[in-house]
Amino acid sequence: MPRYTARERRERYLREYDFQKRTGKQFFPYAIYHDAIMSVIVVGVIIAMAVFWRMDFGAVPTDASAAREGGLLGPAYESRADPAIEGYDPKPEWYFFFLFELLKIFKTPELLIVGSVIIPTLMMMALIALPFIDRRPERRVSRRPVAMAVGVAVPIVLLALTWRGDQGAGIAGEASNRPGATAFAQTLGCGTCHKLADAGTAGNVGPVLDDALPDYAEAVQVITNGRGAMPAFEDIGEDQINCIAGYVATWSGGEGETPGPNAASAEQAYPAACEAAGGEYAGEAGASAAGVPSRGGSAQAAG
Amino acid sequence: MPPLNLPPVKEVAKIPGDWVEERSGLVSVSKYFLFRNVPRDISWLQTLGSALITVFIVQVTTGILLAMYYKPSTEEAFDSIRYITDEATLGWLVRGMHKWGSSVMVILLFLHMGRTFLFGAYKYPRELTWISGALIFILVMAMSFTGYLLVFDQRAYWATVVGVNINGTAPILGPFLSEFLKVGPEFTTETLTRFYALHMLVLPAAITGLIVLHNWLVVRLGVTSPPWSKHRATKGDV
Repeated sequence: MPRYTARERRERYLREYDFQKRTGKQFFPYAIYHDAIMSVIVVGVIIAMAVFWRMDFGAVPTDASAAREGGLLGPAYESRADPAIEGYDPKPEWYFFFLFELLKIFKTPELLIVGSVIIPTLMMMALIALPFIDRRPERRVSRRPVAMAVGVAVPIVLLALTWRGDQGAGIAGEASNRPGATAFAQTLGCGTCHKLADAGTAGNVGPVLDDALPDYAEAVQVITNGRGAMPAFEDIGEDQINCIAGYVATWSGGEGETPGPNAASAEQAYPAACEAAGGEYAGEAGASAAGVPSRGGSAQAAG
Repeated sequence: MPPLNLPPVKEVAKIPGDWVEERSGLVSVSKYFLFRNVPRDISWLQTLGSALITVFIVQVTTGILLAMYYKPSTEEAFDSIRYITDEATLGWLVRGMHKWGSSVMVILLFLHMGRTFLFGAYKYPRELTWISGALIFILVMAMSFTGYLLVFDQRAYWATVVGVNINGTAPILGPFLSEFLKVGPEFTTETLTRFYALHMLVLPAAITGLIVLHNWLVVRLGVTSPPWSKHRATKGDV
């Protein structure tokens, strides 16, 4: 098929470009004025975004750890970072949503690495190596059907993942009044990532607990030390950990008043640990006494 | 008294330039840069790269201003962000421009990359230009990741914990990378200062170097005209 060798094609391209350049226009001022106008527009957009962001700011909060609310473009800042966890919200910047969505697709512990490492690494390698993957010298759009198909498909997939990554499915229903349910769904924000029917949560980042069915020992281990993308929650306290682990082991896979298959493993700790932890961990009485916990009211600083 | 033999004013005005030129050659470099030819059908689609340099300059400038007020410790970071946003004169504007400038930069990077792909401008002889650009893209994403933590509010903190944990799931290197980013098993002030050093020293320096290389290649190899350009020396396939 090739009428020319690769070397001839390269030489032809250089000759062609040399002609275009020789008979072209001077960069200054005939090309640079487009650049200057574009730069002014872009800086204008950045300033406009900052101004629109500022216009929706709420009042400066009196509490030194509280969030300053915002409007469409988001808050000025959320509440102070707190490793002891209230209102856990691991949402990344929007341009990482596509990676965040990959985590949701490959959420089981065995497949996690596909979404967290393998696909992103392959994407980076393909990006860098593109000139060596597509070695054909042809530049005309109509003669590069494969490249154009890939060039259309990749942005569509990225946009779809970005859009889906933005769709949080944290809280879908009411938490039951069982000890630990409110703490699981709201105080700690476990439901941001985990689906657990009894707690009324539908998070889709981490494993579905109604399917994973962890027993008590495993739940304590994972909550204390974290696993994969999940952070370690050891700072919340031992009774609190035992309460949540007991709740998860008992009610994962539970239906109505029937506990899940691993309930027996938690008998020792649950619900005694929740009574010991108190507050919203204790269930009906504690939850109504504490009210609905406000997001991030804690003054405790990290470190 | 002999008559003063002064050169005309026009010649005198050239003296500083000639002095610099004789010692550095920078005047001819600038002249080459400005007065080089580019293909005649270069237009708006080729302005995205220079717009990116402009956004980078905005990020550097606002970043320097933020660094004058920001305190990278777990005790003080959030308070310094509150001070910048709520109290410092035009602090909200500087922080807002830095925050939204990063989003604009990522969008422009995608558009710039898309334009390059459409034109086939990554092909011979511009392969290295593409590779240096791809590395800039990856480093800009790293900039975003390290900068996100610095606000030190709930979302910044927990998103970064999850992000670092994701790095930690990689085989072999993962645990080392995650420990390197956190400076040990826990998030501490050292984690914050490490992210801060990466965000404002290491990554900007690396990006600046790659931008210089990228643009040196662009000037040396020339800007591509659209593949549908009618302005050709030869007919048929090239």
